[in-house]
Amino acid sequence: MLEQLLIFTRGGLILWTCKEIGNALRGSPIDTLIRSCLLEERSGAASYNYDAPGASYTLKWTFHNELGLVFVAVYQRILHLLYVDDLLAMVKREFSEIYDPKRTSYSDFDDIFQQLKKEAEARAEEMKKSKQVGKPVNNNLVKKQGQVMKGSMDGSNKKNSGGDSENGGGDGENLKGHLLENGNFNKNHVINRELPRMVNSNGKENGSSNVGAFDVNKLQKIRGKGGKKTDATVNKGSKVEPKKKVVKKNRVWDDSPIEPKLDFTDPVSENGEENIAIVAADQGESMMDKEEIMSSESESEEEDIGKNGKVETKKKGWFSSMFQSIAGKSNLEKADLKPALKALKDRLMTKNVAEEIAEKLCESVAASLEGKKLASFTRISSTVQAAMEEALVRILTPRRSIDILRDVHAAQEQGKPYVAVFVGVNGVGKSTNLAKVAYWLQQHKIKVMMAACDTFRSGAVEQLRTHARRLQIPIFEKGYEKDPAIVAKEAIQEASRNGSDVVLVDTAGRMQDNEPLMRALSKLIYVNSPDLILFVGEALVGNDAVDQLSKFNQKLADLSPSPNPRLIDGILLTKFDTIDDKVGAALSMVYISGAPVMFVGCGQSYTDLKKLNVKSIVKTLLK
Amino acid sequence: MDKEKIEELKIQMHKRLNEAQEFIQQVPPIQLYAAIGVVLFTTFLFTIIRLFKRKSANTVVLTGLSGSGKTVLFYQLRDGSPHQGTVTSMEPNEGTFVLHSETTKKGKVKPVHLVDFPGHSRLRTKLDDFLPQAAAIIFVVDAVEFLPNCRAASEFLYDILTKANVVKKKIPLLLLCNKVDKITAHTKDFIRKQLEKEIEKLRASRTALSSADIANEYTLGIPGEAFAFSQCHNKVTIAEASGLTGDISQLEQFIREHVKP
Ligand SMILES: Nc1nc2c(ncn2[C@@H]2O[C@H](COP(=O)(O)OP(=O)(O)OP(=O)(O)O)[C@@H](O)[C@H]2O)c(=O)[nH]1
Ligand SMILES: [Mg+2]
Repeated sequence: MLEQLLIFTRGGLILWTCKEIGNALRGSPIDTLIRSCLLEERSGAASYNYDAPGASYTLKWTFHNELGLVFVAVYQRILHLLYVDDLLAMVKREFSEIYDPKRTSYSDFDDIFQQLKKEAEARAEEMKKSKQVGKPVNNNLVKKQGQVMKGSMDGSNKKNSGGDSENGGGDGENLKGHLLENGNFNKNHVINRELPRMVNSNGKENGSSNVGAFDVNKLQKIRGKGGKKTDATVNKGSKVEPKKKVVKKNRVWDDSPIEPKLDFTDPVSENGEENIAIVAADQGESMMDKEEIMSSESESEEEDIGKNGKVETKKKGWFSSMFQSIAGKSNLEKADLKPALKALKDRLMTKNVAEEIAEKLCESVAASLEGKKLASFTRISSTVQAAMEEALVRILTPRRSIDILRDVHAAQEQGKPYVAVFVGVNGVGKSTNLAKVAYWLQQHKIKVMMAACDTFRSGAVEQLRTHARRLQIPIFEKGYEKDPAIVAKEAIQEASRNGSDVVLVDTAGRMQDNEPLMRALSKLIYVNSPDLILFVGEALVGNDAVDQLSKFNQKLADLSPSPNPRLIDGILLTKFDTIDDKVGAALSMVYISGAPVMFVGCGQSYTDLKKLNVKSIVKTLLK
Repeated sequence: MDKEKIEELKIQMHKRLNEAQEFIQQVPPIQLYAAIGVVLFTTFLFTIIRLFKRKSANTVVLTGLSGSGKTVLFYQLRDGSPHQGTVTSMEPNEGTFVLHSETTKKGKVKPVHLVDFPGHSRLRTKLDDFLPQAAAIIFVVDAVEFLPNCRAASEFLYDILTKANVVKKKIPLLLLCNKVDKITAHTKDFIRKQLEKEIEKLRASRTALSSADIANEYTLGIPGEAFAFSQCHNKVTIAEASGLTGDISQLEQFIREHVKP
């Protein structure tokens, strides 16, 4: 049975609900749907699962964009109601006939609805009879995901398409067409879940482009025997190196990639430690605290975007499209939007946005524009672009405050250290950026302590120790082969003893598929319940970003002994200075995890840590 | 590519111009003057209307965290009823109307342009489009579920109170403690004190970090003194209301103070 059907405006006023069904819904499925699906640019999905204590609902929805109406149906997930899409479409059609923006009560719709529901049920029944093959089975895979994200998009499996050959009468066929269309739509989402693996190879190639930095660094090693002494000078020139792309090389993940300056991976460096100058607090102000001068150039950029958009529309139809835009076209249809969306998707992908994400975004934008009237004097392409721009700004705007200093102060008041765990795959610059964050915190008169919990990779502890010496920050270490969870625990205890405000926990890099290591990480998090789980990711990754983040979250959830597992809270994007305009990883990562980008690492010195500038990212993405 | 197009356009313009000149020479001068007169007159009218509109600032913006009851208040003010309830807003509600309680009043009442801006944080950047035109801002706080949301609310309020165009124009702000129909609702004094305390803490962390994006253009309060709303550049007042039961007289009074009838 249908649990509820609601019609409301995008402004949030309920216009009509089915009083006859009248079951009180448990929890607040509708608000959750809006907050974590429709407003998160996931409205292109086919359905949404909501779990409350004692109930698990599936929600389906459709928009009437011209009138600004939303239609939502709620039903028990176990029921697999077949007629919901059909019913929603009919309700939408009938309701838009009687809708009047001035009216707020539609009790006369009750009867119409009953009629529509009966019809829809009858059709579904007929269809069921005509093919006995089987009910569509809801995707089981989704269930797990549902636990992770509270609710999740899912596509009902299209198992019933096997029974196509034995079809019934006209009506049934009609409905099937509708369902099939829906099935295609669904497929996207089913595939999504398995897709990352296939994409992997691609992503790896991306990842390996920093081999360039690696090689150059080797050269430097050969050149200057003292190694670390040359550091300061190397740094100046280092901006140029990473762009050089070396022909693909086999990358050994456990071999740490060496970055020119801030990297002290090499255990040898211990010998030369006396050479290391103590930086303390004289490297200058961290870039986190510097205003970016962006606004002045941004205006001219805006014009550029406009021009670009113009060029894209076909030259030939210039006058006709002009005329069309003056006259104002009738409602936008999916087909009208397609070319513009395709162009936009391609553009996003050239900026290194993961394909899956670009696709979903376009679906969501399409869902928000379909059926809308084109305003006069506008072109479809610019309308689509504007909608996409808004969507991008929304996604990249943090859902909650990312004021870490405030969080640290709050922890201070409670008299316990603020614990941040840095996690990520191998070689993305976890330790280096941990040191940058430490430096930034230190500048704000916060007592920092580092905890070397990478007890797996040789050299990792020494690397961190070197950073600690340079910054004159205490470090807690217990050597190798220890359980990192225990090391972290002891570190936190030590921190409360010596009055440190913040503990930054370095962990071993691990591939998202490495089950034992992921288990160890989820144990570390469970045992220590940190205040912040920061995912460190390379800005260079393309499609692999999706796989990394979704798997990390998935594994953290699945392997945790806790019923309410912690997930990634924020993202630190590294190597941002090496990617030019290919800023797509920022978008991919934020979209897939819902976590904000809290820091951006953009260079080789301790001061090279920034905040994400949403406006400039969006501009770059759409350029 | 663009240049070619512009060239093409130029040539066409020239042609049209020539045609127009020929046409003008054919038309008797009196008609011509009349036409010019009409054109001038209409532009004059338009500018007048524009100026008039800009002067009469009557925009009032309802803002606050999601779930604080803004949409209910919006419909209470407009229709005197919350209708069948609300769900989370995805888009602002806007309307220019005479307040429902004043529809029975005699004489001319100036309509209010009310904007109910959704509280979802992803939409927050768009709030900047509305704030500069506002004659008054109403920051709605859920007095029942206040404590769990206290920090988020303070951060939001802090951002509003430090926005350049809010501070410069000294837009008055009303802190509206909503849902006081519930017995578990906190008092407005308690809420004010908590918010002041939170903002005091934010002052320490925010001035330390200024980012490119969330640039707080102005600092709040007086250095060396504990923060109080009375130190704000804007006039901040506090009131109570219940959107659900329609107990909104203090709110209406505030609106009328700043949108003169
Ligand atoms: N008890 C009580 N509940 C209220 C009152 N005002 C609103 N509510 C309830 O609070 C919930 C949220 O109200 P909305 O008006 O939708 O909240 P909003 O501020 O518009 O939220 P967003 O649109 O998400 O920003 C609804 O369930 C209302 O019934 C009130 O005065 N008293
Ligand atoms: Mg609302």
